[in-house]
Parts: sequence; C-alpha cells; structure tokens
Amino acid sequence: MAVSFKQVTKRFADGTVALDHLDLDFELGEFVVLLGPSGSGKTTACRLLAGLEQPSSGRIEIDGKDVTNVPPRFRGIGMVFQNYALYSHKSVFENIAYPLRIRKVPAADIERSVRDVADLLRIGDYLKRKPAQLSGGQAQRVAVARALVWEPAICLMDEPLSNLDALLRLHMRTELNRLHRKLDKTFVFVTHDQEEAMTLATRIAVLKDGRLVQFDEPKTIYRKPANRFVAEFMGRPAMNTIDGMVEGGVFRAGAVACPVDRSDGPVTLGIRPEQIELAAASTPGAMTLTVDVKEAVEPDTLLIFQNSGGNAITLRTQANCDAIEAGQPVSLAFPKSALHYFDARTGQRVE
Amino acid sequence: MTTTAQPSRGQILLDRGASLPLILPATLLVLVFLVGPFYYMAYTAMTDLSFANPDQNGAFIGFDNFRKLVREDTIFWGSFWRTIRFVAIAVSIEFVIGFALAWLIWRYVERQRLLTTLLLVPMMLAPVAVGLIWRLLLQGDFGMATHYLRAVGLLSQSSAVFSTPSLVMPTIIAIDVWQWTPFVTLIILAGLMSMPRSPFEAATMDGAGPWRQFFDIMLPLLRPIIALVLLLRGIDAFKEFDKVFIMTGGGPGTVSELLSIYAYRVNFKTWNLGYGAAVSFMVYLVVLILCSVFYKAVYWKSADQRAQA
Amino acid sequence: MSKSWKILAFGILACVLVIALTPYVWILLTSFKGRLDILSPQPTWFFTPTFANYPAVFIDKEYLPLVFNSLIIACGSTALSIMIGAPAAYVFARTDFAGKEDLFFFFLTTRMAPPISIAVPLFLFFTTLGLTDTIYAVVIAHTTFNLSLVVWMMRGFFAEIPKEIDEAAMMDGRSKLGAFVRVIVPLAAPGLAATAVLCFIMSWNEFLYAFILVAFEGRPLTVGIPGLITPHGTLWGQVAAVAVVATLPIIVFTFLVQKHLVRGLTFGAVKG
Repeated sequence: MAVSFKQVTKRFADGTVALDHLDLDFELGEFVVLLGPSGSGKTTACRLLAGLEQPSSGRIEIDGKDVTNVPPRFRGIGMVFQNYALYSHKSVFENIAYPLRIRKVPAADIERSVRDVADLLRIGDYLKRKPAQLSGGQAQRVAVARALVWEPAICLMDEPLSNLDALLRLHMRTELNRLHRKLDKTFVFVTHDQEEAMTLATRIAVLKDGRLVQFDEPKTIYRKPANRFVAEFMGRPAMNTIDGMVEGGVFRAGAVACPVDRSDGPVTLGIRPEQIELAAASTPGAMTLTVDVKEAVEPDTLLIFQNSGGNAITLRTQANCDAIEAGQPVSLAFPKSALHYFDARTGQRVE
Repeated sequence: MTTTAQPSRGQILLDRGASLPLILPATLLVLVFLVGPFYYMAYTAMTDLSFANPDQNGAFIGFDNFRKLVREDTIFWGSFWRTIRFVAIAVSIEFVIGFALAWLIWRYVERQRLLTTLLLVPMMLAPVAVGLIWRLLLQGDFGMATHYLRAVGLLSQSSAVFSTPSLVMPTIIAIDVWQWTPFVTLIILAGLMSMPRSPFEAATMDGAGPWRQFFDIMLPLLRPIIALVLLLRGIDAFKEFDKVFIMTGGGPGTVSELLSIYAYRVNFKTWNLGYGAAVSFMVYLVVLILCSVFYKAVYWKSADQRAQA
Repeated sequence: MSKSWKILAFGILACVLVIALTPYVWILLTSFKGRLDILSPQPTWFFTPTFANYPAVFIDKEYLPLVFNSLIIACGSTALSIMIGAPAAYVFARTDFAGKEDLFFFFLTTRMAPPISIAVPLFLFFTTLGLTDTIYAVVIAHTTFNLSLVVWMMRGFFAEIPKEIDEAAMMDGRSKLGAFVRVIVPLAAPGLAATAVLCFIMSWNEFLYAFILVAFEGRPLTVGIPGLITPHGTLWGQVAAVAVVATLPIIVFTFLVQKHLVRGLTFGAVKG
C-alpha cells in the first residue's frame, strides 16, 4: 500500500498557492512527518490526502488507485484533528464507536473494538464521560482512538499535539511512537515542531512555500540538510549559517576565520552550535570572539557571539562555563568534519 | 482491515455539489412569494387597476400614479412626514431611555435574568394585543390610565386621549416607547456585557475619569451595536401598522394615519389597487434603503471580526 | 455614596418595571371582571373575579377555533421555515461561493419587507391560486418572513460548530449531506429549538398578512381581535380574555428562549 502525490498543485479561491507541483511517495507502515513553517502547505497536503480538499491539478494515488476525486469516506483513511473535533453530544464510547456504527458493524463487535482501542490508548475508564469532562490529553486520546478503531490503512494527524501543554506533549509523543510500533499502520503526521518530527518520523518531508524541500530519514535531514532552509529549521538552537568568502583555503567572515577544503569564492558556511569547540587560544585555526550573551540551559550552556558581519553565532556546550562572563573574549574552533557548505546564491547544499 | 471501496455515482453525488439542493428551496420560496410579488407590485403601480371602478381594469399608464402621488397627493405627503416624525421621535426616545436603563442594569444589577425577562413582556406581546390593551386603558369613560391622567391633571376632565387630535400622535409615540424601549435596553445590555474590561482598566491607569471613559471608550466600543439597534428599530417603526390600526385606525380624521395605514386604506378601503401599489412601492423603497444601510453596518462589523481572526 | 446610588438605581428600575408590567396586569385583571367592575369610572383593583368572560367569547362567540388556527399557522410556518431555512443557513455557514453575501442580504430583505407592500400582490396572487381565505395562504406568507430569521440565526449557530466536526464525520464515513443531517443538526439542536420558538412567536403575533389574506375561514386569533371592538358597547371583559389567551403562551415562550432572544432579535448580529 503506497501513497503517492503526483504533481499535486492546490490553489485556493483567494489565489494562494498552498501546494506547488508536489511529488511525494511513501510506503505502508511508514511514519511520515510533514514538517514546515506555517504556510508551507503541510496541512493542505494532509487534507488533500484525506479527501477534504480537491487538488487544483495533479493526482493522488493510494495503492496504485487514483483517489483524486474519491470522497473521504471511501478512502480508508482515519484522521485526528488539531482541535480533536469530538462530538460533544455523544459519550466517549459513542465518539469512538461512531465510525463503526456508520459502517453497520454488529453491536458486539463494536463493543469489543472500542474496548480494545480504548485500552490501547489507556482511556478505558472514561468511556462513559462526555468530551467536555475530559482533559486535553484525554480528549486527544479519544480522537486518536476514533481514528484508529475501524482499522483504516492510513491514519492522518494534523498537528495533534499542538494544543497540549509541554509535558503532556512529550508523553503523547512517546505514546504515538509505541502505537506505531505496535500497529504497523501508515501514519502521516503534520507538525511545525522539528523535535516532534525528529523523534516520531521514519521519514520527514520538509515543505516550504508549497514545495517539497527534502524527504529523508530524520538523521539524514539533520546530518545532511539539503539546503540552508532545512539546516536552519532543524535543531535547537538553529544551525549557525555564516555568509563569507574563501580565500586561499581559509573562510573569512568578520571575526570568523577557519581553514576549509574549498576553492576560492563566496560560500555560506554552516555549523551546528553543539559542534563548535571551545579551544585554547594557541590551537591552530582557532578564532577569538567576544561573548555577547550567556544563557545557562542546564546542563548545557549557550554562548552567543556577535560577529562583526551582523550575524550571531551560537555555541552550545556541556563544558563548565562558570568562568566565562558576557563581554569576555573566548577562543573557538570549527572542526572541519562538522562544516556544511551552502551555495551563497541558491542556498543549496554543496559537498 | 478496511480497504478503499469503490464508490458509486450516487454516493459521490452526496458529497459533491451538496450545497445547491440545500439552498435552492429557500431561494425559490423567496423568489416566488417575495420577489415575485414585489415585481408584480411594481407592475401594478404602473396600471390604473381598481376594484371599485369597473372602467379601470388595469390598463398600463406608465408613471402616472407616481407622478400624481408625488406632485398632487397631499394626504400621502402628510402621512409620509408624519411617519418620519413618528420614527425619528419614537426611536430617539427609545434609544435614550433604553440606553440609560441598560447602563443602570449593567452597572448596578448583578442578577439580571429575572429583571430583563420581565422587562421583555411589552415587546413580546402581539402588537395587536398592545393596541387593544392601550385602547382599554385610555378609554374615555372608564379607562384606567385616563382616570389617573385626569387625577394628576395631565388630561382635562371631559376629554379623552384618542378623541383629542393634538394628543393622538404623542400618545402613539408614548405607547411605542412603552413597547420597544426594552428592546433597546436588551440589545445595548448585551453589548455592554460583551465589552472587554481591559480598555477600561487601561484608561483608569491612564487617568481617565468616568465621563472620559464613557465617551472615549464605551461609546466607540458600542458603536456597531448602537447602529444596529437604531436601524432595526427605525425599519420596524417605519412599518408600524398593527397598534395604530387597532387604537385609532388612523383617526380622528387622518391625524394618526401613518404611511402603512394610508397604503392599507387606498388598497383595501377604496380598492384603488394601481395607486395603492404605488404607495406600497414608496414604503418598500424607504425600508429597502434603511435595510441596506443596516446590512452595510452589520457586514462591516463582521468583516472587522474576520480581519481580527 | 455608592450605596445610595445603588438604591436610586434600583428605585428607577422598579418604577420602570411597574410601568412596563401594569398595563398587562390590568388586562389580565379585566378579563376576570364583571361588567360593572369594568365600567366603573373609578379603577377597581380589588373585585370579585368572574370566569364568565372566557366561555362567553371562546364558546358562545366561537373564538376557540381561532386559537387552533393560530396554533396550526404558527406550527406550520415554523416547521416549514426550519426545514427549508436550516439547510440554507448551513450552506451560508460553511461554503464559499460567488455572490454569497448578496444572496444572504437578499434573505434579509424578506424579513424587512413591509407587509403592507407585499400583502397586496400576495393577496392577488393567492386569489388566482384560489388560496385566499385558507390557512395555507397565511402559513406560506409567514414562512417567507420567518425563513430569513432561520437563515440568519442558524448561520450563526452553525458557524459556532467547528468545521472540523463536519470533517471528522466525513473521515468517520459520512457523506457531506450525512454529516449535516446526522452530526451537525443534533449538535445545533439547542439553537434550532430557540429559533423555532422565535419563529412561532413571530407567526403567532403577526397580524397584517393574516388580516389581509384571510377574513373568515382560517383566521387566527390576532385577526379576530378587531372584530370584537365596536363603536359602542364593546364587551371589554371578553376582549381582555382574548388578549390574555393571545399573549400568555408567548410570555411563557419568552421565558424559555430568553437566552437566545438577543441573537434572534438582531438576526444573529449580537450573540447576547
């Protein structure tokens, strides 16, 4: 069971192009995360797959069948909404049972299926309540249960965790991971939170302005971002990207100067904050910058430097920084193996 | 495991184009029973149709009726200006009193439910019943209100309100105020209740006194609702018929003949339907203008809210 | 200081309440008065009540069928306008299409149309159809003006239900239409009930359309009222009895829908 978007474009009535010739294929059993900032088209892609919207052009196939014009109820897809969309006049049990009732499943089977999925999501004790009597986390679980109870082949989740508080979100993340391992279903998960994407996805599709920027495993996305946008979007704090020039094997930009294996010319240098090293002033290739702000994020410390070019450079370290104060000069080194290069003009990754 | 079933044509029809069959019956009903009559009225207004005179069997006479109405019909203009005065005075008084009451309730009453519900009684009564009630109260020989008005000297011993021409319109205005002030109170109160607190708190911190807060913050915040109340009341008052019809029937003479009563008289007393249609058309025209102003005001407000969302 | 202001405010409100309610209380009392008590030039607040007025007018003068006519007209036009208007309101709340706001305004004008302007052509129209002097004519006329009330009010109630509920129902296996009928309508039931009650009130209270369209057979209570008033010797006890019967159910209903009244009276523009 494969899902594929073929040259899918979605243009809304007001003229906004939400998706621009999207091509995306994935297989059964994957946990695909659609990741991007707001307005990137990730939610639109999800709703197109659900059948809640129709593409302006292009086709969507499920299992080789063209479903572009098939209404939602014939697609075999379950969905969890950001605001849960529970039926407030029905009990939790009836909310979960609803897809089965529509499909005229015998009452005994409904009872069993609902109990099973409720136990799986640990909401078995709340089945008699009304949605208004549930906490955010419980309502979320009911929504997931309703999407899964009739065993659709694909389960869509549109920013399902964004209405939960931070702790609960971490917890639900773990639960979803567990669920995916156990059920072996296709999950399509929309989020703007890169950390959620990294922890949940088997593959992440990064979208920007309605286009697919990169579609890869999380670690590849992190380690080999396809362009400057992905590099800056993934990781907290974001990757440092510094515009500068290479002259005689040395990259220079303001106070930054480090040896690189590149020919001369303009380039954007990228390095993740956690890969910048604190070095002794005597280390070859080390540079000295002044600490602008120091933030302790125990057990880590963030040191933010103001480069003369105007760009800030952030360093994240677990080393003891008690001695370092704002305004003090510090020596840094950029290890060659940690460097990413991006085309100064297009922002594309260059090896 | 559920697989993707192949839907039939009919099933797909339930999903696509579902809007049209939902909205069509309503549109048709209005077209047939409202827009149709409207155009028929416009057409009739250009004929000499009359049920009273067999010679006038509905020949097309162009704008003659309107010409006569505008240029020669002093009774029409009398009732037109009478109606305008009625609307302007009644709605103004209702607004001022209604606003003051709403403010009092908002400011001083914590449990408003029972009070507002009781206040609603006059406006929920059928206008015909209201007319009837006041006709009884103001009856010349044994009316309860007549008795007390005489007792406090507001009315001379021998006269009755509805037979004293100079008192008829003021009385009708007073009764309209009695019936509809609660409406203004209710809507303005809803507006006051939905006002955010923070601008008032900010103004207090900025050193604005109660009067400044009233004029600089409360009135601007309430502006859309005030516009709404004035327009709704204006439109309804302009159409006023039931109460006056029951209480005075337009008399004595024509001193209380409002536009809709005049239209009724031309149509159903003299059965001069062509001319009556022209009168009706003028009434409709004024209401339509008020109505589109109302819609602009409301629509402008909702557009505002959309921008905030 | 503020205490005495509060007392003053309550004093004013109490006076207002007395002025607002006394006329109605008077008609209520009058309906239980005998002839002499009514005609007494000195207002009589305390008297021996009689129940004779009610049977006199409803049985002897045969006003009872008018009550049923009023009921049938109000129920019929309410049911019709809800059945026709609620689906349209749903479309207005959910779908975007060219000219939507214009069509919506068009529905508003149906409410605002002065009855005196529309009643004449409608009267001629129903005469051609042979429907004048039947209950159907009034039911249809009342439906046209109640329809816009339904469309305007229900649009607001439907819009308050998140769009995702429709979508969830569709993902759960409903068609678009099925989602509306099986999920959205039950969810909007309280609003629907309030709207229905308001429609009932509007129709029950309406006079002019009914007065012009039916003179005898099928006339509702409001149309029966003017017939009781004669230049001389009006039987005010009986008039009062009719007025009470014509208004009491409405007052009860008002208490029921008080919460939604503001929205209804402003066509959904103010939530209240």
